[in-house]
Amino acid sequence: MFAIESDALSKVYKSGVFRRQEVPALTGFSIQVETGQIFSLLGPNGAGKTTFIKMLLSLAAPTSGSASVLGRRLPDVRVREKVGYLPENHRYPGYLTGEQVLRYFGALGGAPSGALPARISSLMELVGISQWRKMKVKKYSKGMMQRLGLAQALINDPEIIFLDEPTDGVDPVGRKEIREILRDLKRRGKTIFLNSHLLSEVELVSDRVAVLDKGHLLKVGTVDELTATGQAYVIGITGTLPEPVTVAARAFVIALSQQGENVTAECRTTAELNRVIDLLRRNNVEITSVTRARSTLEDSFISLITGEAHP
Amino acid sequence: MKIITLIRWTVRELAAKATLYVLAGISTLMLLFAALAMGTDSTSDGTTITFFGKPASPPVTHEALADLAGKIEAGFAGGLFLGIVVFGVFGTAGVITDALEKGTVDLYLSKPIARWELLLGKYLGSVAAIFLNILYFIGGLWLIVGAKVGVWNIPFLLSSFLLTYVFAALYAIVTFFGVVSRNMAIAIIGGILYFMLIAGPLEGRQTGLYLLSESGVYRGILDGLYYIFPQIPAMESGAIHLISGEQAQVTPFVQSFLSGGGILGVAAWLLQRRDF
Repeated sequence: MFAIESDALSKVYKSGVFRRQEVPALTGFSIQVETGQIFSLLGPNGAGKTTFIKMLLSLAAPTSGSASVLGRRLPDVRVREKVGYLPENHRYPGYLTGEQVLRYFGALGGAPSGALPARISSLMELVGISQWRKMKVKKYSKGMMQRLGLAQALINDPEIIFLDEPTDGVDPVGRKEIREILRDLKRRGKTIFLNSHLLSEVELVSDRVAVLDKGHLLKVGTVDELTATGQAYVIGITGTLPEPVTVAARAFVIALSQQGENVTAECRTTAELNRVIDLLRRNNVEITSVTRARSTLEDSFISLITGEAHP
Repeated sequence: MKIITLIRWTVRELAAKATLYVLAGISTLMLLFAALAMGTDSTSDGTTITFFGKPASPPVTHEALADLAGKIEAGFAGGLFLGIVVFGVFGTAGVITDALEKGTVDLYLSKPIARWELLLGKYLGSVAAIFLNILYFIGGLWLIVGAKVGVWNIPFLLSSFLLTYVFAALYAIVTFFGVVSRNMAIAIIGGILYFMLIAGPLEGRQTGLYLLSESGVYRGILDGLYYIFPQIPAMESGAIHLISGEQAQVTPFVQSFLSGGGILGVAAWLLQRRDF
């Protein structure tokens, strides 16, 4: 059973005076998220990321297609007993203290009232806001609000946690702490569904990533799969590649370049790579490593969105 | 259980926003005024109620004094009702629209509560907060009149429930406008305009709006509207009649219950269909 599964899910918003103007937000979106994974959805503004989460939480109704969460076909209010959600730009009632926010939303989530005080204390400790537990949330900074939002998403000990831009407004130290919390949740078997613009963050924590643009799924896979750059390899060597060897290699590979003690060879096949290695060895070049060349997730993301090849 | 949580926290919300305290403050001023102003004057001809030492009527027997006290209490209840319409609607309209704001509604609806439960919990929470204020004022005045005049008019005490009921019917309209517009100003204007421009004229249609046309269709439409919407003026006057010890019709209360419930049902249906 998948934690989240969607099948050709689509959403068209209607706008205008007579709701005649149709704005497609998501088109035929199908993904499967395994239990216990950190799954991230990437995409530019308006790609449909938040719409997808909202449909999974029944905040918006799909125009077509279907989805299920924890094996329950949506819409099903019982799903939300096992789900935590940190929305983007969330607003808590400003007259409540941080502790009261957790008590209120914990009670609405169905948490047993006897267990709530201990749960609230441990969560406020976990997200690092226990010293502000009695402060009204209208005085909280953006970073503190995000931490409170994360605690709120976890208050009912959910099986799936949806986080929409969880590190928005959080300082680098706070971001690292949140990453640690996410990893810890994963270790405890929780499934985490992350929407984020911060690609470096996603790269550090995600098991699988989907890239979405204008409502269409462009690619889905592990971070390694998304950042792999075809048949380019980095060959670690000692010293500098002799010029005749460079010229000889360039005669049969697509491209070859050297930066420091790394030679990057773009080959058509692995046979070509082996030919390069043989050439280097014949010329007494000492090879220290051979690895597949990778771009950053940001590079891959931009090339997917713009349709350009990897640099 | 979750509706109880919503009601409890909505009352807290109104307390935190000072709405409850402002209303309680106004009630306290009125109670102090009544306590200071009200007294009795007994002569060999009987007893009368005085305001700042001036008799409200010639001396009367004890039975007639109870009637007089009832009429004075009914006058206060009428004033209180207008206060509830103005301050109650202004103070509570934001409860519905704030809950439906972007960023807040997502938090509520990500919890395992149905949309109608959210609406009903917020609605009943506001009504409960107003009930506490009404009970404070009516209960306080009941004690003052009882202690100063010696008349313990139980129907007046029970009118707390009736006045709350009347507010609840009006608040169904405010809730409807709040759900449709998600705008507090529109919710307030909708409720107040309904009270002033629809409920009142429909109640007095036979001596007012009927005169505009003799068409049976026109008058039928007016009658239809009268029975579709909550009959707030009729309920208010019924409550005042009961306080004064007179008979009151039950029909407006039953009809307004059905009408208010229907309006809330439509609001819940619209909320259910909305994408957030």
